[in-house]
Amino acid sequence: MELYDLIFYFFAIVTVVSAFMVVTSKNIVHAGFNLLFTFFGVAGIYVLLGADFIAVVQLLVYVGGILILLLFGIMLTNKITSVELRTGTAHIIPAVIGVGIFWGALTAIVAFKTDWVEVNTASTESTTIIGLGNLLLTDYVLIFELLGILLLVALIGAASFARREIEELKD
Amino acid sequence: MLTEFGKIFVFLIFAMLFVAISIFIARLIRPTRPTKEKLKIYECGEEAMGTPWIKFNIRFYVVALIFLIFDVEVVLLFPWAITYKDYGIYGFLVGIIFLVVLAIGMAYEWRKGDLEWARPKPNIPDLSKILKKKIAQPETIEPSADN
Amino acid sequence: MEMNSLYDSLSLIAPELIISVTLLVIVLFDLIFKNNKKMLPFLSTVGLAVALITQAGNLTDGGFAFSPENTPLFYGMLTIDSFGAFFKILVLAASMLIIYFSSTTDEVNESFDRLGEYYTLIFGMVLGMMFMISASDLILIYLSVELLSLSSYVLAGFSKNKTRNNEAALKYLLFGAFSSGLMLFGISLIYGMVGSTNLTALNNFLQTGSINLFTITISLILVFAGIGYKISSAPFHFWTPDVYEGAPISITAFLSVASKAAGFALLIRFIRVGFVSYVDSEGFWKLSEVFDWQLLLVIIAILTMTLGNFSALWQDNLKRMLAYSSIAHAGYMLLGLAVMSDQGVLAVLVYFFIYAIMNIGAFFIVMLIANRIGSENIDDYDGLGFKAPLLGVSLGIFLVSLTGIPPTAGFIGKLYLFIALVDANMIAVAVIALLNTVVSLYYYIRVLKHMYLVKPSTEPPVIKPSFNNLIFVLILAVPTIIFGIYFTPILDFAKQCVQFFGV
Repeated sequence: MELYDLIFYFFAIVTVVSAFMVVTSKNIVHAGFNLLFTFFGVAGIYVLLGADFIAVVQLLVYVGGILILLLFGIMLTNKITSVELRTGTAHIIPAVIGVGIFWGALTAIVAFKTDWVEVNTASTESTTIIGLGNLLLTDYVLIFELLGILLLVALIGAASFARREIEELKD
Repeated sequence: MLTEFGKIFVFLIFAMLFVAISIFIARLIRPTRPTKEKLKIYECGEEAMGTPWIKFNIRFYVVALIFLIFDVEVVLLFPWAITYKDYGIYGFLVGIIFLVVLAIGMAYEWRKGDLEWARPKPNIPDLSKILKKKIAQPETIEPSADN
Repeated sequence: MEMNSLYDSLSLIAPELIISVTLLVIVLFDLIFKNNKKMLPFLSTVGLAVALITQAGNLTDGGFAFSPENTPLFYGMLTIDSFGAFFKILVLAASMLIIYFSSTTDEVNESFDRLGEYYTLIFGMVLGMMFMISASDLILIYLSVELLSLSSYVLAGFSKNKTRNNEAALKYLLFGAFSSGLMLFGISLIYGMVGSTNLTALNNFLQTGSINLFTITISLILVFAGIGYKISSAPFHFWTPDVYEGAPISITAFLSVASKAAGFALLIRFIRVGFVSYVDSEGFWKLSEVFDWQLLLVIIAILTMTLGNFSALWQDNLKRMLAYSSIAHAGYMLLGLAVMSDQGVLAVLVYFFIYAIMNIGAFFIVMLIANRIGSENIDDYDGLGFKAPLLGVSLGIFLVSLTGIPPTAGFIGKLYLFIALVDANMIAVAVIALLNTVVSLYYYIRVLKHMYLVKPSTEPPVIKPSFNNLIFVLILAVPTIIFGIYFTPILDFAKQCVQFFGV
């Protein structure tokens, strides 16, 4: 499938290049905005994998939520523009070669030499949400309810943690 | 597989091309005569003062945090909402328990005042105090009243 | 899901349900009665006690809860068995102690406004641990680890406006997020190979499927990174001293006992359910030959205890010293697991039971003294032994017990560990563990030296703990002595509990 491959490489390059920019960017705001493209590229790859619901979630939660939170975090920080992010390293070329070979070999063996289980792709449903909903209500009902409690705990924890500074500001 | 998302993808490509091409054509045909006034930051005709990077109110962050958590909740409710009818009262209850747990979280936010956008208390000087001080020590009147 | 099986599943997880309900009740109670914080510890204790009684009543229950439909036998989200019951009882009992502990800690009570959150998050931790202990599905394992971690990140930074508190929370969060990411990656690799997240399915796969040894090794190391972080074993222990020192002391005690217990239960179940093909007549486990857990665990255990003990030698802050000591103890207990036999697990259970008592006790006395003198520094302990005789003697008992000298309970724990090691012909490892114990003697006794032998430069303050606190200290100190002499009850209880359901 020629077009499929082409689109995949488009999203893959978007993801990898923008991720690289996030790491190397000296300006934290630029890094934050590059993250947008990383999330977006990952969402595209999810679509190509047929995981449409996860792709939408990726956009909704990561782009719409986490990235916004991140940018708020940057804006809340005082004098952020005067902060020089130090990403320089002394031995960048040997590091790239060494890590590249090691990591490349690792990934290659893991990815190509393993008998991955073939997932049932002959699904008749046009969307994955229905299957997901059925699983959440049957096999994974415990997980579903536990997630509710996890979110409650996260909400209480996060709010009590972030609210602290308001208390300080009050007095 | 690509059908519906394929359309979105085509839209996406066209949107990007549209922006790129219009900027490119505009650059080709427009005259370039920059002046000092033109190169200034546009701020509704006002003189731009200071840096745009000021510290925002921490309340934005709390609201964003709460938003994020309810965002995840909504995401989890989607699959449930589509399928719960097939499971009768059981499916309904599963979702309701989930919702009740998060409603408690909402109640928590409400009660603790995280949702209120309380303005800082206006600094109105207390007249009676000033008068008392004035009677006691006529010299030291003004700035202490700000507290 | 069929109503019948749902009902069975729910009745199997009754203690967890009680904990969840109590969590919600505490949140609501705190919202309705905003200014009545006195009731919160009471409410928490009642919830924990009910759960504890329920759990103790269901000690011999066995079964799989929330089994997916259309799957073979022995598949379940949760495995309920006496092994899990032991750890759950341990966690619940420790939580009850910690609730009382917290209610007397100044560091916690200073943040009056947020006490409701404090107890809510404690229950979040307890719930996470309970599910961790009996989880036999990788998704539930990950979720419960996250529930535990999220609650403990916030609790580690609970005290207001203290830099070291914030530092502890931030470090804990960064390390935790990274290691749980690694664990999730490992889980995804396992799922990719097995096609199921169930541990029993993993076991079946390892016996029949075509396996790439390299990939499975990587994925297991990644999963171990997540669990090793929770039990603070050697290469993943760097957060421990900073977090333990910075967190409120009641949370430190809780993390060092309950959180570690849940991590160990998870590790033991992961190996036992996922990898053991059969158990021979002497109780030794025969593992699938894909991954040498024994070698990994022995190396990590030796590294953990040696690093823990040697780093503890130079610590002047008692909280930090106890943090390193808890790392060292994790190392001893990993050795018990490395034996890979029922005998070894028995030793771990006995050890954990005793470790929980003496460790909470030691932290409690450090807290009482810190409440009074506002410091945990060892130099401030000079001459305290005479000014607070009961506290001094009790701390002495706990520290001697942590070292493992008879006639304290700590000796029994170590004894069973060494017996298990010698039974399995791991003499060299046993000798290293013994040498480590000798090293640990130095820093434990150093505290006692400061309390009794060093002449204080200034007159030490008189510490008079309240009647309740003295009773609490005695509740912990007396068993530490008694179990050192008469330890049959622990042993019987633990023996009864070395039973895994299903495999």
